[in-house]
Amino acid sequence: MKKKSKMKAIKMKGFPWILPAFIFVLGIIYYSIFYTFDLSTLNWNGLDPIREPAGLSNFTKMFKDPIFWKAIKNTVIYFVFTFVIQNFLGFVFAAILHSKVKLGTIHKCLIFIPTILAPATMAPVFRLMFSPQGILQKIFDFFHTGVTVDWLSKSNLALFVLMFVAIWEFTGMSFILYYAAMSQIDKEMLEASHLDGAGNLRTLFSMVLPNCKGTTVSLLMLGIIGALKTFDIPYLITTGGPNHATEFLGTYIYRQGIRQSHLGYAAAMSVILLILAIVGAILTNRFNKEEK
Amino acid sequence: MFEIRSKKNKILLQIVLLIMTIPYVIPLIQMFAGSLGGTGFKNYKAVWDTGVVPTYFRNSIIISAGVILLVYIFSMTAGFGFSKLHIFGKEVFFWMILVALTLPEVILLTPLFVTFQKLNMYNTFWAVILPITALQLPFMILLARNFDNGIPNQLMEAARIDGANVFQTFWYIVLPLTKPIASSIVVLTLINSWNSYLLPLLFLQDPHMQTVTLLPQYFQGEFSNDQTKILAAAVMTAIPEIIIYLLMQKNFEKGMSAGALK
Repeated sequence: MKKKSKMKAIKMKGFPWILPAFIFVLGIIYYSIFYTFDLSTLNWNGLDPIREPAGLSNFTKMFKDPIFWKAIKNTVIYFVFTFVIQNFLGFVFAAILHSKVKLGTIHKCLIFIPTILAPATMAPVFRLMFSPQGILQKIFDFFHTGVTVDWLSKSNLALFVLMFVAIWEFTGMSFILYYAAMSQIDKEMLEASHLDGAGNLRTLFSMVLPNCKGTTVSLLMLGIIGALKTFDIPYLITTGGPNHATEFLGTYIYRQGIRQSHLGYAAAMSVILLILAIVGAILTNRFNKEEK
Repeated sequence: MFEIRSKKNKILLQIVLLIMTIPYVIPLIQMFAGSLGGTGFKNYKAVWDTGVVPTYFRNSIIISAGVILLVYIFSMTAGFGFSKLHIFGKEVFFWMILVALTLPEVILLTPLFVTFQKLNMYNTFWAVILPITALQLPFMILLARNFDNGIPNQLMEAARIDGANVFQTFWYIVLPLTKPIASSIVVLTLINSWNSYLLPLLFLQDPHMQTVTLLPQYFQGEFSNDQTKILAAAVMTAIPEIIIYLLMQKNFEKGMSAGALK
């Protein structure tokens, strides 16, 4: 019924309306994707007149490259930790700010400001903050803990610093989404739960959280794609170091492609990165549909 | 969400909130305190006296304005087309655009670098505006289409009966109704284009053309790693952003929550 009236309503050709947007997407994004596929089968530095064919050797080289696997491993660890912590915090913030608390707006602004500041602007701040000259060192010294804050130069800690930065930056996003979702929840249902004698935490995790499932799935998709796209934070704060400890696919592709002119190798990794991103999006989408 | 009766618990919740917020404030304090190290407020004067700050801001404004204009026009028209018009193979086109949503920026670098150099577009604002627009469009089209789907078809039909053509229907009926989603699109595009780092880094080599996200790097060269002045520059970049956010708080929050895929 609905469809029928739509067809009747406007039968005129709609193609010109989507054409400009489509040209943009085709001309820049699909162009780059096909260009990348082509490059991935070459052994080329971008300058040589001769583009030496390489077959699939870039791909076999990649699967034997420990740094490539390190980047994959870092992406997975980074995704798991940031996804869980950031959304847990965002969820709790949203619940607290939906309760009767004082100065709610100020807290809201303070959590939200990080999401609007560019990682590029904040990177020097974090480099200082996690160095022995930074504010954290002063706090640790104040309590006479004897801890030296030089975590960015420690292979086993640098990744956690980057995760802190990512969580700092994106909690506002999780918060605002959960906050919006919670405004939709039926107040009477919550009251009934309280009347049944369920405590606040119990209500929160067995009533409110399941009702925000749609939001959580959206955040899952944003999280997976976001983790795969990660570039600014590691590149600007650690440049993937020390000794590739914080290498991500994005930073490694940049290093290989732009810095060292191994265009074919960088393109091969880009192809894998693109496939992972699409598979991730399809899987979460499937998951989303099943929920409904 | 929390139902709290006793005064003790009220205070407890307030304290929990305060403790949770502190880690979010520490980097901001670090930024400000760090910018006052060494010569104090003279750091700001030194940064300002280089005379480059307004240039970098101007460039960011030009780029963001360009991107916002293009994204606004093309997401509105495409959203309308995908939602309300008859297009052969519509679903295929829509999926092609959605796939582009997942594209990591870094994949664009080499192809565009080589191509822009061939087309003499390297080191022009277009080299940044066009790719950012292409990266922003898929998501904004999705938002616009979803919003347009909520506009009743009867409205279109009524307009048609009154003799309006497609363009008039779009201009007089759809466009005024889409204001809420349009403001979200503008805000999201503003944040993403203003904060864009990788494309300006690679495609704008001339310091007179660079954007605010590249300021820290510029000052690293200029002040040979005098952290205090680099942080003063960071504060000067952050403050206008924070002010604009505070002035348009509701729009920003609405824009961000539109960011959830439906």
